[in-house]
Amino acid sequence: MTRTRSPRSRSKRPSGGLRPWLGWAIKLSLVGLVVLAGFAVYLDAIVQEKFSGKRWTIPAKVYARPLELFVGQKLSKNDFLTELDALGYRRESVANGPGAASVNGNTVDLNTRGFQFYEGAEQAQPVRVRFSGDYVAELSSTNGSKLPVVRLEPLLIGGMYPKNLEDRILINIDQAPPFLLETLVTVEDRDFYHHFGVSPKSIARAMWVNTSAGQMRQGGSTLTQQLVKNFYLTNERSLSRKLTEAMMALLLELHYDKREILEAYLNEVFVGQDGQRAVHGFGLASQFFFSQPLAELKLHQVALLVGMVKGPSAYNPRRYPERALVRRNLVLDLLEQQGVATPEQVAAAKKMPLGVTKRGSLADSSFPGFLDLVKRQLREDYRDEDLTEEGLRIFTSFDPILQMKSEAALGETFKRLAGRKGSDEVEAAMVVTNPETGEVQALIGSRAPGYAGFNRALDAVRPIGSLIKPAVYLTALERPSQYTLTSWLSDEPLSIKGADGQVWKPQNYDRRSHGTVFLYQSMMNSYNLGTVRLGQEVGVPNVLKTLARLGVEREFPAFPSMLLGAGALSPMEVATMYQTLANGGFNTPMRGIRSVLTAEGEPLKRYPFQIQQRFDPGSIFLIQNAMQHVMREGTGRSVYNVLPKSLALAGKTGTSNDSRDSWFAGFSQDLLAVVWLGRDDNGKTPFTGATGALQVWTSFMKKADPLPLDMPQPDNIVQAWIDPHTGQGSDAGCPGAVQMPYIRGSEPPAGASCGGQEPATGDAVMDWVKGWLN
Amino acid sequence: MNKLWIAAVSALALLNGCASVPQGSIPVVDSGVPVSNNERISAQRTAGNYPQAAAAPRATQARTITEDSGVVVMIPGGGATVSTPISTQPFTPGPITLGPAAAPISTGSYTPGNTYSAPSPITPSGIPSNSSGGGLAADEQLDGPVLALLTTAQQQQSSGDLNGASSSLERAQRVAPREPQVLYRLAQVRMAQGDAAQAEQFARRGLTFASGRPDLQASLWGLIAQAREKQGDAAGAALARQKAKVSL
Repeated sequence: MTRTRSPRSRSKRPSGGLRPWLGWAIKLSLVGLVVLAGFAVYLDAIVQEKFSGKRWTIPAKVYARPLELFVGQKLSKNDFLTELDALGYRRESVANGPGAASVNGNTVDLNTRGFQFYEGAEQAQPVRVRFSGDYVAELSSTNGSKLPVVRLEPLLIGGMYPKNLEDRILINIDQAPPFLLETLVTVEDRDFYHHFGVSPKSIARAMWVNTSAGQMRQGGSTLTQQLVKNFYLTNERSLSRKLTEAMMALLLELHYDKREILEAYLNEVFVGQDGQRAVHGFGLASQFFFSQPLAELKLHQVALLVGMVKGPSAYNPRRYPERALVRRNLVLDLLEQQGVATPEQVAAAKKMPLGVTKRGSLADSSFPGFLDLVKRQLREDYRDEDLTEEGLRIFTSFDPILQMKSEAALGETFKRLAGRKGSDEVEAAMVVTNPETGEVQALIGSRAPGYAGFNRALDAVRPIGSLIKPAVYLTALERPSQYTLTSWLSDEPLSIKGADGQVWKPQNYDRRSHGTVFLYQSMMNSYNLGTVRLGQEVGVPNVLKTLARLGVEREFPAFPSMLLGAGALSPMEVATMYQTLANGGFNTPMRGIRSVLTAEGEPLKRYPFQIQQRFDPGSIFLIQNAMQHVMREGTGRSVYNVLPKSLALAGKTGTSNDSRDSWFAGFSQDLLAVVWLGRDDNGKTPFTGATGALQVWTSFMKKADPLPLDMPQPDNIVQAWIDPHTGQGSDAGCPGAVQMPYIRGSEPPAGASCGGQEPATGDAVMDWVKGWLN
Repeated sequence: MNKLWIAAVSALALLNGCASVPQGSIPVVDSGVPVSNNERISAQRTAGNYPQAAAAPRATQARTITEDSGVVVMIPGGGATVSTPISTQPFTPGPITLGPAAAPISTGSYTPGNTYSAPSPITPSGIPSNSSGGGLAADEQLDGPVLALLTTAQQQQSSGDLNGASSSLERAQRVAPREPQVLYRLAQVRMAQGDAAQAEQFARRGLTFASGRPDLQASLWGLIAQAREKQGDAAGAALARQKAKVSL
């Protein structure tokens, strides 16, 4: 006891307090150690919690329809190559590895990438496609065996972004292309595989560089520290944050191995900004800049991406291509210096262009109009969190090729019509669907492509004008004992007294009356007087019932003005209505989504094809016939100035009062398009349905090159020969006799064969026959 | 600085001991499975949604197509050869003329893609143009893609994956929208899914394309009869059954 005591008292004296200082220091550091340990426990909990759980929330991804390939499919080689480019297929002389394509005359060899669809997996495989004309003539494996059907992977067209707008495509470390990991480590953290999270060596080096330069030049952060910083911490620059970062880096290294940390880094790293969306991870960066899956990237692309980590906005290859190129080549030099790549590889890579997708190309376009439709449909079934966090995969019917064509048609037509006074203020909307499946294939919500604002295709509810008329005539044609296509209809002036005592005097567009005409002629020329008369006869409420059966859910008052389209609909509603006319009287709810898969690729939900027969096919056959007359010789006839006469089309123009709305709705066998032009302030436009919307429609159909309309003739339809003047039965041998379809039993009695009767000339019915035979 | 190190390391050593997450057990990929292409293929459809699908292995499903559906025609060949196209029809792109009576206004003088020389024995729409004989002769002309997709759908259906079958059939319908056999199969699967109303609608749609094919018409009417019965429409069912007989 005394022995131990005396030294202490002795030591106290001479130094005047060294011993107590040490004692205090030990005690203090013990306390500090406990506090620090507590802090470390706390940090460790954070590190593990976030790293072991769901590391990232992933916005739902929205895909276009996959392009199907099969023999006999109508697909031009050009469209096919556009799709391949958008999917980031590399053009090579010999297609080598997934995502490569080689073009040889009419033959395209490609290696598809494979994809998980709702119905199952589509395998990656080598495929040879031979085109002939605008058709696929041959589809085989490159070894020569025939393939019945092949699907390309679908184009990613957008996502459902959450508030923080972080987007990424998660990747596995195994998907890293050659050179990526080595390049990343070489450029960002050469000691990565040897340190425990922090690297005293690089800190020392950084300090040396910074002090000698007199400013912050170099950071001593390891990849692990960078990950910790991005993953757990704010951007604040302070010593305490730096220390926390270091501790967390150590903790992370303690729990997880290098590969896991590197993989997390690959997915976390910020590589660029796309408007409001932050592009995170190399997986998305690869799609964003090259439109290719990460695994397919080559050395020069890898060097560019890794080089960008240092300053994503400063080295943005789209905005500062020269700067990005210098940076990329610097990285390549470093790789050569460090022996990661051979001088030959580096020299070859340096010769390559940056290779980022071009602006305005399919790969670099956005389709906010269609995505808006998808979002609205999804919101009926999912909460916002499901859409923004769960990484769902949404498969849609969107056809990017048709979308590009419709946008081009709209742009070119506006350019052509720019001379018309006031055309600058005119807005536009367009809906393109497949009438045989009820799927929406393209959608334009604004005249400016890519504009994500007011979606006129869904929300511009405007008077449809004469687009209503098929409903009026269909109502009549459903009563074959009363009406046929060749029933006489008076196009004489009339006035209608409303319930309020007001008198309504409808007028024709040309302000003339046309006497007595065939029913189909009144329809094809869009005569208002004849239509109102017919509508009054069948009854406005019945016309509205027909409208509802056609798929229009909006309620309208039964005013006579409804017969001329005073009721307002959105372009999408018009598409629904005309879809029923185009699809043999079968209504189908418009669909933009086919199915939804979970992030793991498990089927989650399907949006099945549904149909309902609303009309007898016979009466639909007749109204389609009348709508073909519209195109052949009626208000839509200008279409054949551009399109071949062999292309059977049906449609209807619509113009609201004072040309405030210019409409056209029409269809071929496989394509239905509705175009609306008008002003947001509902002002007058310089366009009628025929001079405005129809022009866009025609331009679109010219580009889309659809199949001619060909509704199979229903069993209750007979074709009868008639005299084009009188509508009376005639004989096939009679000069000028034409065939018209009738519901069986409503056809005129067959006429006698005529010997030497004089041929009728100058008649309308005959003109159109001649017209389309020519 | 040094003390901090000691402290941190010792704390870590301690913590590591009691850490509940063993090293290396962290799932590489969490809920956000990569959407990138290579990965997609590996994603498995799990048994969760399709218990039957998981129970019945695929390999055993490649059986005769006509075997378990109890339906007369549809896919010829059966067994292992089902996926080979049998048709010898020349390829005719463009509009498809259905049945003997073509609508004069719509078809007209159209001559499809004049540069196209028919190299392939397949009709794009899958609708045979000579349907006068009815029965198998017409039905055998299903073309490559449609046949392949119907076969897939059949396999999915027999393994209990009705949603998958439906989806494959809708794919076939997009390829050949006017092929009544596809619509017939869609109707059948809707029926199996318990949706008799849609089954009837698809059968009716099929009828509008089945002109001149009495066997198929009879099958479609038969299906309509079943669907109506299920919807409690006995009179309608009887009427459909009558039609089925007339068709034959």
